[in-house]
Amino acid sequence: MSILVDETTRVLIQGITGKVGAFQAEVMKAYGTRVVAGVTPGKGGAVVHGIPVYDLVEQALLDGPVDAAMTFVPARFAKDAAIEAIENSIPLLVLSTGEIPDHDLMTILRLASIRGTRIVGPDTPGLVSPGKCKVGVHPNRVLRQGSVGIVSKSGALSYEVCKRLSESGIGQSTVVGIGGGPLWGTTQRDVLALFEADPETSAIVLLGEVGGTMEQDAAAYIRECVTKPVIALIVGRAAPPGARMGHAGAIIEGEGETAERKLASLEAAGCFVTRNPADIAPFIKKLGGLDSR
Amino acid sequence: MRVLEFQAKRLLQERDIPIPKGVLVRSAGDLAGLDYPAVLKAQVPVGGRGKAGGIRVVRDVAEASRSLRELLALSVRGHPVRVVLAEEQLAAAREFYLAVAIDRTRNAPILLASAAGGVEIEEAAKQDPTRVARRGVDLCLGPTEHAVRSLALELGLGAHATQFRAIVENVFTLFRDCDATLVEINPLALCERGLVALDAKILLDDKASFRHPELFGALRDEQRQVAPGQLSEAERLAEAANLTYVALHGDIALISDGAGTGMLTLDLIQDAGGHAASFCELGALANAEGMQVALRVALADPQTRVVLVSLIGGLTRMDDIAEGIAAFLRSDQGVAPIVVRMAGTKEEEGRAILHALGIAAFDDLAATVREAVSLTKEGPCLSS
Repeated sequence: MSILVDETTRVLIQGITGKVGAFQAEVMKAYGTRVVAGVTPGKGGAVVHGIPVYDLVEQALLDGPVDAAMTFVPARFAKDAAIEAIENSIPLLVLSTGEIPDHDLMTILRLASIRGTRIVGPDTPGLVSPGKCKVGVHPNRVLRQGSVGIVSKSGALSYEVCKRLSESGIGQSTVVGIGGGPLWGTTQRDVLALFEADPETSAIVLLGEVGGTMEQDAAAYIRECVTKPVIALIVGRAAPPGARMGHAGAIIEGEGETAERKLASLEAAGCFVTRNPADIAPFIKKLGGLDSR
Repeated sequence: MRVLEFQAKRLLQERDIPIPKGVLVRSAGDLAGLDYPAVLKAQVPVGGRGKAGGIRVVRDVAEASRSLRELLALSVRGHPVRVVLAEEQLAAAREFYLAVAIDRTRNAPILLASAAGGVEIEEAAKQDPTRVARRGVDLCLGPTEHAVRSLALELGLGAHATQFRAIVENVFTLFRDCDATLVEINPLALCERGLVALDAKILLDDKASFRHPELFGALRDEQRQVAPGQLSEAERLAEAANLTYVALHGDIALISDGAGTGMLTLDLIQDAGGHAASFCELGALANAEGMQVALRVALADPQTRVVLVSLIGGLTRMDDIAEGIAAFLRSDQGVAPIVVRMAGTKEEEGRAILHALGIAAFDDLAATVREAVSLTKEGPCLSS
């Protein structure tokens, strides 16, 4: 199982002829992802690393179904690319692009909710079900197939934790980067619900940060609905209030938005909370039965 | 971008929202023709200026000149006052609060309104959240008539409901057309002539600059003239390169290729008894050139005694980043020790490049942090 993507997922890359899009499409393909099509307006007919390129998403769909799309387009073209994917009823859209204007995001997310497309992102490394499918930019070497589900606002922090888990022999079911905000298509709570329902996921790692109230919402959900063990790490304990710490959403603007307050809520909800990623693997080892196959 | 009050009021006036009659004042000569009593308001890009003495009510020319001199000598939270907005003083029977903002939990606009407008609105809202009425807005529909009608009822606007509706619609149009993330009128005062926006705060989305090159450019130019920033050399360099940079108070300059690991490294520095001088995140600039600039930014801060580079790349290529460090060491002088943690895409190639420079890149983040902290405990400042 795993969540959202697996070995059957057929992937389309928007912006595949750009430098980053072409490089990442190749890395995804090398990882075993079924990258079936690329789209770049004006570049239809080209081939990138053996992947056919189309001018329009609708043309790509004539040659076969697509389960997930990932954008590698500049921010000013992201609204158009996202709406094209949504209007073509692609069920999952990974919006990797950062710096998309808030009003464009509101439009994209509104349309996606009407049309039934799940958006992951924006400003996200994407997601990967190790050993099966990667619709993302995670470094392959830190990943290992297994049964720990990871949801993270930060891409780099999820790599950090995956690296430590994999080095300890603990694999991951799916690693989902939801993006640095401050608007999100998919929330921690959404991903927690998917992991809770996934028979292949036996423990969940929640990687959050200062700013906003999403972790408080996740804590309330965990308390009510999550039976699997949840390990939570919140970064930004040393972040000064009012400063934007790299992510658009990582800014402490209210009392409930500090790392310590979020850690307290998650702990009260029954999570194992930690302030250091080095603690996560030993804790999971103690749970037992979670080593990768 | 936070626009200044007089700029915000101009944007409101362009959309037929009533504002007090006023004039921008740079020197006493500009005060001619003012009606009294008047209000002099310092134009600074921060809140809390009333409590800092940045707003004065004056009754005649003599008082106005004296107050103007005082205001122009004032700094509000580090921002020197260069320009003052002089306005007619209007008597308000009631003060309301009205805003359109982005509701981050719904990914949609939200209308906020209150009958408890004025400087104490935040305190009032904290003590009793029900004093601020909220109505979610569908981006496609805009504020619906019934939602605005119900707000007007809740605020007790009576005969002024019609004007209120027009103002709400115009505020929303401004919010949408200018890519604003906040349009706030506080207070929206009920005066003899009807509802008037006595003060306004507008935040524009810098990410949408490409859509409004003229408007955003003009507002920024104007701000540079009337409210020049007080940036340090490091902040100026970082801003020019579009790097995330947060100045702190310690001696370890932190550079990371991701926000999450940057914050984690900052936390671990604190846990190890160290103190960060700055937080710099490369973001989209995680490449050789960005790394080179980030090192210049780090070392432009005289507090910096050690540079800690924390890298775990997905999109970032370690060979590329290492080339940036090499280029910096070739071109720049007077360098503090650089401690590097390197993992991720092309890390072997990156390590080899750093090895040739005599830098042993760590694999473990905690060990990297320990090394950086221990270096700050020994020897004099090396960057000066």
